Amino acid sequence: MADAAIHGHDGHERKGFFTRWFMSTNHKDIGILYLFVSGAVGFISVLFTVYMRLELMEPGVQYMCLEGARFVADAASECTPNGHLWNVMITYHGVLMMFFVVIPALFGGFGNYFMPLHIGAPDMAFPRMNNLSFWMYVAGVSLGVASLLAPGGNGQAGSGVGWVLYPPLSTTEAGISMDLAIFAVHLSGASSILGAINMITTFLNMRTPGMTLHKVPLFAWSIFITAWLILLSLPVLAGGITMLLTDRNFGTTFFDPAGGGDPILYQHILWFFGHPEVYMIILPGFGIISHVIATFSRKPVFGYLPMVYALVAIGVLGFVVWAHHMYTVGMSLSQQSYFMLATMVIAVPTGIKIFSWIATMWGGSVSFETPMLFAIGFLFLFTVGGVTGVVLSQPGLDRAYHDTYYVVAHFHYVMSLGAAFAIFAGVYFWIGKMSGRQYPEWAGRLHFVMFFIGTNLTFFPQHFLGRQGMPRRYIDYPEAFAYWNYLSSWGAFLSFASFVFFIGVVFYTLLAGRRVTEDNYWNEYADTLEWSLPTPPPEHTFEILAKQEEWDKGHNH
Amino acid sequence: MPFERQIYHEREASEHSGAFCFAHATDAPFYQLSLWPYRSLSRRGFVWFIGLTAGLISIPLLALLGSKYLWFMLPFLATAVAMIWYFIERSYKDGMILETLTIWSDHMELTRQNPRGEPQHWQANPYWVDVKMHPKSGPVENYITLRGNGREVEIGAFLSVDERKILLSELQDVLARLPE
Repeated sequence: MADAAIHGHDGHERKGFFTRWFMSTNHKDIGILYLFVSGAVGFISVLFTVYMRLELMEPGVQYMCLEGARFVADAASECTPNGHLWNVMITYHGVLMMFFVVIPALFGGFGNYFMPLHIGAPDMAFPRMNNLSFWMYVAGVSLGVASLLAPGGNGQAGSGVGWVLYPPLSTTEAGISMDLAIFAVHLSGASSILGAINMITTFLNMRTPGMTLHKVPLFAWSIFITAWLILLSLPVLAGGITMLLTDRNFGTTFFDPAGGGDPILYQHILWFFGHPEVYMIILPGFGIISHVIATFSRKPVFGYLPMVYALVAIGVLGFVVWAHHMYTVGMSLSQQSYFMLATMVIAVPTGIKIFSWIATMWGGSVSFETPMLFAIGFLFLFTVGGVTGVVLSQPGLDRAYHDTYYVVAHFHYVMSLGAAFAIFAGVYFWIGKMSGRQYPEWAGRLHFVMFFIGTNLTFFPQHFLGRQGMPRRYIDYPEAFAYWNYLSSWGAFLSFASFVFFIGVVFYTLLAGRRVTEDNYWNEYADTLEWSLPTPPPEHTFEILAKQEEWDKGHNH
Repeated sequence: MPFERQIYHEREASEHSGAFCFAHATDAPFYQLSLWPYRSLSRRGFVWFIGLTAGLISIPLLALLGSKYLWFMLPFLATAVAMIWYFIERSYKDGMILETLTIWSDHMELTRQNPRGEPQHWQANPYWVDVKMHPKSGPVENYITLRGNGREVEIGAFLSVDERKILLSELQDVLARLPE
């Protein structure tokens, strides 16, 4: 029989550092690991953008020279533009942000930590698989960085094909860098699929008694929908990039017209994954924002059920609109009309969400702590991005805007600003709960103000550049575009400064922040289960389902 | 707090205590209790989920009908569906624990059916059995153990903290009211 396992002294033996963080099967520890690793990768990825904005600050090429990359402009010495370096920067900024920063932070980090708490589960359904997912993600990051440094096209390091890896660029890029990048995406995909299976099983089968699907908190719902999108779309990407790999290495011609292949098909496959991907990035953010707004408006969230079904609708619609990324490949009129209409329909569920958030604030007792500032910033920025999205959904207009800075501004407003504001709102909302120490309020507000001004200054002028016809993905531009590019670069530097400040705030908080001991340090409208736990939560919460090795000490029978 | 608990009531009202003596396991027991972990996904829900997943994941295949690409993509998509199927089934299986506690006036038995491996048994004379709760020192909060016959065993470790409190008072109550 299950012999009692009591350790006379209190609780667990303390785990060593290595055991706790490297062999972790605890969903909270793994969530924290995800947050830190994605933060570090995010920093690398942001560094690339700073270098890119530095280069774009003035017309002409001053920094990315074939003679050697510079950080200080030097008019005296020769500078031949190094387009490959530029292409490598945009490629790895995209690959890292899409696969290794935002999804791991929101889905892997906050999802792992808080989804099981929200549904009252003791841990994930498969804790060891959770550990496997995390380390496959780390391995994927390593391959991505290896790809950046490995010999690639044009006799230089790295691949400059863009994060979408379109053939024939990606199939003809020289060197091993491209293959490493494909493996990196494979590993990240496998990690995400395993993570998604874990989240789905946990959400479906480990909810606490009485927590029906219509009572699950919105953040847990958003994680579930995200996990489902990952499960449905990442296998498609895995198949697509595997075909790329065989085209590169085994002489197949899936995407090579010379051998009867179809390069446009790759774009369909990529975007069948890629459009749900952008929803995977933003949906967990929706969940966080819902809780933050309800908490600081001191009201329950307005229209819970419509909010849930809007999430579901956004997820489903995300699968039937992919070709709006590729209006210019030569589709029939009816195809373009369909994709335009389907795309515009997405404005309905997202509108429901925006209006419900505003209605939650309406008549509430609103206070402006840092998480709420980021949430309101999110509302504004995401709406701006959504409105330009409706503009871009029209194939006629898209002919003009395709591959211009208007598109760059659009997707950075929804993803960079939307998702990043949601991440920061989540960090400030929960850092006290996770660490037992609270951030200094003035520092959070300063971070918000710098970041809000910085990002808007970066991306709002890019709408103007796009309307003036400036194409994306180029190292240089005519002098006519100089004015707004200069402003945009200053915005990027300010945003970067705010990010560095944020890193300082996080480490200050973790090491020397004011200790918080109340279970719920906000107010009673922060009503999900994590707020009923001690701060910081103990290692095990809501009980453990007895695992065989835990109770079976093997000395009977 | 993933579990559900069901108590089969005493066969006879306990006010009659002393009136019924059950000498051995062949007689009707005085008290019986079954405990199992809670699972929130119904079988019907499982069918819906797999059906929707299989349906949605085949949308990209429609575009590939009649081409060689279909055969390249199909294994990836089929693997995804197979994996989620397998892992949800595994999660059901992990929850197939059933602890049954049966008490007679001079004998009690605890049986635990495990998801994998043999069932486990424990038995003792209830007169000598010691029911204990370890609020902090066990592997879980409010850990309940039964000691008797030279062995200490756990009961209801998969229940919620509050459910274990109720379980404790109920066990103590039943053992106190056992017929002589």
